[in-house]
Amino acid sequence: MNSESLTRGSIPVPAAGPMVFARGVFKSYGGADVLRGVDLEVQKGEVVCIIGPSGSGKSTFLRCINHLESIGGGSISVDGELVGYRQQGRKLFELPLSQICERRKEIGMVFQHFELFPHMTVLENLMIAPKVVTRRDTAEVKAYALSLLDKVGLVARANSYPSELSGGQQQRVAIARALVMKPKLMLFDEPTSALDPELVGEVLTVMRDLAASGMTMIVVTHEMAFARDVADRVVVMDAGRIIEDERPEVLFTAPRTDRARALLERLVPHASRAPEPT
Amino acid sequence: MVGFVLLTIADLLINNKGWQWDVVGQHLFSESVLDGVVRTIQLTVLAELLGITVGIALAVMRLSPNPVLAWTSATVTWVFRGIPALVLLLFIYYFSALVPRLSIGIPFGPSWGDWETNKVITQMTAAVVGLGLAQAGYVAEIVRGGILSVPPGQTRAALALGMPPLRVMRHIVFPQAMRVVVPPLGNEVISMLKATSLVSVIAYAELLTTVQVIYSRTFEQIPLLLVAVIWYGFLTTILTVVQSYIERRLAKSQKISRSAR
Repeated sequence: MNSESLTRGSIPVPAAGPMVFARGVFKSYGGADVLRGVDLEVQKGEVVCIIGPSGSGKSTFLRCINHLESIGGGSISVDGELVGYRQQGRKLFELPLSQICERRKEIGMVFQHFELFPHMTVLENLMIAPKVVTRRDTAEVKAYALSLLDKVGLVARANSYPSELSGGQQQRVAIARALVMKPKLMLFDEPTSALDPELVGEVLTVMRDLAASGMTMIVVTHEMAFARDVADRVVVMDAGRIIEDERPEVLFTAPRTDRARALLERLVPHASRAPEPT
Repeated sequence: MVGFVLLTIADLLINNKGWQWDVVGQHLFSESVLDGVVRTIQLTVLAELLGITVGIALAVMRLSPNPVLAWTSATVTWVFRGIPALVLLLFIYYFSALVPRLSIGIPFGPSWGDWETNKVITQMTAAVVGLGLAQAGYVAEIVRGGILSVPPGQTRAALALGMPPLRVMRHIVFPQAMRVVVPPLGNEVISMLKATSLVSVIAYAELLTTVQVIYSRTFEQIPLLLVAVIWYGFLTTILTVVQSYIERRLAKSQKISRSAR
């Protein structure tokens, strides 16, 4: 509790500022530098897509935002508060676990391989975190969970097990599961990469609706059509750095760097494979 | 050939007067033998509970990112697995020679009460603690394997929802680890049932000690050992049935999840 007030005194950005504010984020794994000074600002309500070749550090960066990975240098704050750390003078100290969990609640995350809990029904998947983490009333949580399942069009499957659903349905459940914690920010880590092409559209539709509702979203993706239509900005990462950060219409027509142009040439034909949701 | 061996064994069972089946029948349900059976069951249950509790704690500590916890767990597991259960049992029973009085308090600091070691460590507690700790080392490895069998993405997903790590263990990882843990753990329970016979060395009156006491009086070793064998066999059979029942139930509930991957 004490350290929380300390953090308040030295917030790097005012509360009215950006939702995500990352400065000089550095991370290495056993000698290999994965992130080499990432700066990124995401405003409230903005949708930012991160693209980049595999190994460019985009997934790692995403995991640093909710502190699933610790960072080796720099800082990340979400809605004006550092994630996973508190600042004292010029130094950062890792927060106690209880407070890290407190911050993570506000940040929803969707994974490439869905990661639904296989031993629970769809509804139980949605209800476990509120039940364990918050002291919300069970009946209220259940009603809210069902309303979210309705939003992703799966309320009829509430009592199915994840294995009885298609990949696209599982990912829609995973999105609802993240939303049940009422997050301020949603992180998507290649949410459609593990799906059969014909199932990509239904997941993107849910994500479009979410973006339209004003949710702040950071999406690591290869879906160029989604990036072009939905993203406010597209960020290109390469070798642990951000090399471009542009509005999609600018980036897709006139990338500044050769590396980004080469990447786009490889990715854009791929995007045409995704069916346009109607 | 097999038939010949079987016939020989049958001949030994039926025609050898040494079995003294009448003596077996006379003791099989006698009060003292039944008491011994009950104590054997008690001992198995208590020691196994201790073993599983300590074993799970050791497994979780071993996988903790905190190096002190991980190292402590590895060392404790190594010690318990390295000492034969029989030696551990004797060591705990004679613990009073090493520490005559047990006290609760801060090491090197004040104490809030102390007791004579020999009063605390009875044959019963020595038996439970000795067998339980010997078991904990094995349980720890079994549980660790089970935990590692659950994909790390499951933990990440639960953490991302804001669940504290121990809750993630309890609600997400353990239930999925069960499928891997139950079959070897069932074997451990059956071994424990039989390992309780080791405590005859510290004269705790479980099944084997009981029959030994009787035959030391009557010199009817074979029939009385047969009484013990029949009871151990009966209890093992029950445990085997229970184990396969649990495995079948788990297989049913997890069939769903396996096809998910």
